[in-house]
Amino acid sequence: MGKQLGFLVDSERCIGCHSCEMACKNYYQLHPSLRRRKVHPIQENDYSMPERNYMSLACNHCVEPECMRVCPVGAYSKRDDGIVMHDPSRCIGCKMCIMACPYQVPQFDPEVKKVDKCKMCAQLIDKGEKPACVAGCPMEAIQIIDITSFNKYGAVKLLPGFPNPSITKPSVRFIKPTIGKQIRRDK
Amino acid sequence: MDKKISFNRRTFLKGAAAASAGLAIGSSTSSFNLTGLKPADAAGDNKAQVFRNACPRNCYDTCAILSHVEDGVIKRVSGDPGSTYTRGILCAKGFSYTRRVYSPDRIKYPMRQKGRGSGNWQRISWNEAYTEIAENILKIKKEYGSTLPICLDKYSGNFDIMHYGIEGMMSSLGYTSRATGTPCWPAGIDAQTFDMGTIISNDPEDLVNSKYLILWGVNPAWTSVHSMYFVKEAQEKGCKVVVIDPVLTQTASKADLYLQIKPSTDGALALGMARYILDNELYDGNWLHNNAKGYEEFFGYVKNNITLEWAADKTGLPKAVIEQLAREYATTKPANIWIGYGMQRHTNGGTNVRAIDALAAITGNIGKSGGGAQYAHLQTWGFNYHAMMQNPPEGTEGGGDRAINMNNFAAEVLAAEDPPIKMLWLACRNPMAQDPETSVMRKAFEAMDFVVTVDQFMNATVEMSDIVLPTTTLFEAPGVNVSYWHWWLYLNEQAIKPMHEAKNDITIAMELSAKLNELKPGSCTFPTSGDLEEWVGKEFNDGIYQMFGINHWTDLKKGPAKAKNSQVAWKGGKFQTPSDKYEFYSEEAEKFGHHPLPIYVEELKTTDKYPLRCISPHWKLNIHSQFQNLDWMESINNEPRLEIHPSVAKEYGIKDGDSVKMFNDLGYIILPAKITGTVPIDTVVTYEAWYKSKDFNVNYTVKAIPADMGKKATGMPGIAFHDNFVNIEKV
Repeated sequence: MGKQLGFLVDSERCIGCHSCEMACKNYYQLHPSLRRRKVHPIQENDYSMPERNYMSLACNHCVEPECMRVCPVGAYSKRDDGIVMHDPSRCIGCKMCIMACPYQVPQFDPEVKKVDKCKMCAQLIDKGEKPACVAGCPMEAIQIIDITSFNKYGAVKLLPGFPNPSITKPSVRFIKPTIGKQIRRDK
Repeated sequence: MDKKISFNRRTFLKGAAAASAGLAIGSSTSSFNLTGLKPADAAGDNKAQVFRNACPRNCYDTCAILSHVEDGVIKRVSGDPGSTYTRGILCAKGFSYTRRVYSPDRIKYPMRQKGRGSGNWQRISWNEAYTEIAENILKIKKEYGSTLPICLDKYSGNFDIMHYGIEGMMSSLGYTSRATGTPCWPAGIDAQTFDMGTIISNDPEDLVNSKYLILWGVNPAWTSVHSMYFVKEAQEKGCKVVVIDPVLTQTASKADLYLQIKPSTDGALALGMARYILDNELYDGNWLHNNAKGYEEFFGYVKNNITLEWAADKTGLPKAVIEQLAREYATTKPANIWIGYGMQRHTNGGTNVRAIDALAAITGNIGKSGGGAQYAHLQTWGFNYHAMMQNPPEGTEGGGDRAINMNNFAAEVLAAEDPPIKMLWLACRNPMAQDPETSVMRKAFEAMDFVVTVDQFMNATVEMSDIVLPTTTLFEAPGVNVSYWHWWLYLNEQAIKPMHEAKNDITIAMELSAKLNELKPGSCTFPTSGDLEEWVGKEFNDGIYQMFGINHWTDLKKGPAKAKNSQVAWKGGKFQTPSDKYEFYSEEAEKFGHHPLPIYVEELKTTDKYPLRCISPHWKLNIHSQFQNLDWMESINNEPRLEIHPSVAKEYGIKDGDSVKMFNDLGYIILPAKITGTVPIDTVVTYEAWYKSKDFNVNYTVKAIPADMGKKATGMPGIAFHDNFVNIEKV
């Protein structure tokens, strides 16, 4: 496998503030219903103690993207660096990709009647800049990594609630939230 | 920016202002659709321009913004990397600004409502609006021989310095009634004023130097995201982060240790810690000897009145936990405490802050980098207040403005006599949503002869007004901003023409003044013309230039400036109290009716009838009634919830998502339940916010109970927002 860019999402640093999501919307001035990045709450009972933890997800730029496989018009393509691109000029809005993606990443843009999704700000990456979500995170909780060479102690392939990665091999890695000590009055 | 471009831009802005002033009825400049921002017909070239802006919201972070403008339209915003505090990054609110500027919900032109609260609005021209307002003002003046029946309620919706021109407009009419005080933070301000003479906090960028950090009743992960970065940096460098809060907040979720204290008992914990520090001689005797007054009396009080068993019982925290916390805090240097505004919104909030300050003082942490008791500061606010300082018309009689308690506004408006209050002017403020006792507020509005509100959206206060005037966003008029937390100074440039028929508050004041003087010469002293950018320049003085190391205010067009030599509060050890020392024993406090020492004052408790406390903190997608109404925010969340502990929910037979009625003697709200272990067993939580077209207002149940302190520094005591006792039932 050559290069495969992906997001490293540090859920220990993440404070669920939605700045990443809004930085993306701001950069592209998206339709209100389009959320190319979404900050998902992790269920309280998924960890030993109730906490407010989040998993910020955009397109996972899968190694084996289902969206690309099912698209009848070849609107999807994969760049050499692994970014999954979507070409709206080819898209016919059939929504096959929306049904196929385990992560509910492609969304239907009601204004242009086509699918819309995160392209990792490929045009910025090509200029050596950071994607809008990465640049817009106040906690520096999102990074771009090349998963073929990425090897960080403690990084994991899934967090609670994240769909099974074996289907499409998503190019996302996570740092797990640490659960601090709590002195509670309900114990 | 070179001189020539600067000249061109100014010409453009002047032209824009002229075009705006000349708009006739029906010539709305904007046509908006959801995906594309259609260009307004701006003069000038088509190249993208970048303007420096500043977020003027009532927020710790006061961000430096860059707006990217093409053809007169803001294409996007970004953080200004020139500020090392905001580091080129905004928050979810800041990144949503285009949706505010170009929101289809904006009030586009002046309107008159036939029947307050009726929704029967009709569009009027600015001239009609000014005429009606001026006639009402002149009528009041004639009938009462004074302008005191006119009351201004303006506060924190926009903290740009130019916006103090709204107060200036009132001053230029004569003596008026003024909503006085601040709902947010006065108890803590007084507490630190008694202890240290005023509020001064370390540079928040200094948080990274802390080795031990207690975040006490503060939730920066939601209310100060840029500070949270420095908290995390400190933590990664080995600083232990402790959060003390009744609610397991987002910040608490990132802490090494979270202590779920019983609400309003923070002083008991601080005094318990002080007892341990005293018994184990972990205090800094040298510092106290050199810098403090009354520490013997304080130690005497602690020795005779405080035990760790008592503190454990009060706070609900085990004795061993308090002991460990006290030992770690007292022996790790430097140790820092950030005192939040949430924890002082109680009837004993001020005295609790004094007890926490005392911890920082006895351990010698005050005046140290990475140490201290952080609350806020107003050191960078030394502007001229040129727009604000206006004189009453010649021949004005009377003894000055009349103060109306902002924190019991409705009742005091209704009770005002000789003369009564007949007219309200509201700007930068939404009391129908944000003030306690909404039903009394409604009565106060209903009792008025005339209500004018200046705003951007049709909120609950606008709904109770006779006239609404559309105002500009921060991008549509120039200004200048500083923070009550960080030490940066930002210029706010006008980036686009005013949208629709919106006008800046200063322009409104100028044009209203012209109308008043046309109808009755000499009735208003406010200047009737002036270049707004020049007015920004008039706010600066040598003190500001020196503090920020700039030669001229226009230097700020090149980038933001940070105050020099301001990084550590109280570094010299000279305090601003009467004794010049840190005052454990404060005669000033005594003068204001408090015990001179930071003793424990009993907290309010739940009752049999109202067995739950409702805490209504800030929500992460809004600041009070701003932002949550924008469509981008609605796409993330558009439903307020009542957070209920699982065991409480079980007791009441409530399941997640069930409709719950929360009520007390004042009123009720109905909203869906969220069952969560992040709230304590004796408390429910809902976040104060204004949701567009939802009848959600937590203040329906909040009584205007004063906090203990606030009168000395801010004129009025604060509000004990979090001493709100309720019951719930499944609907």
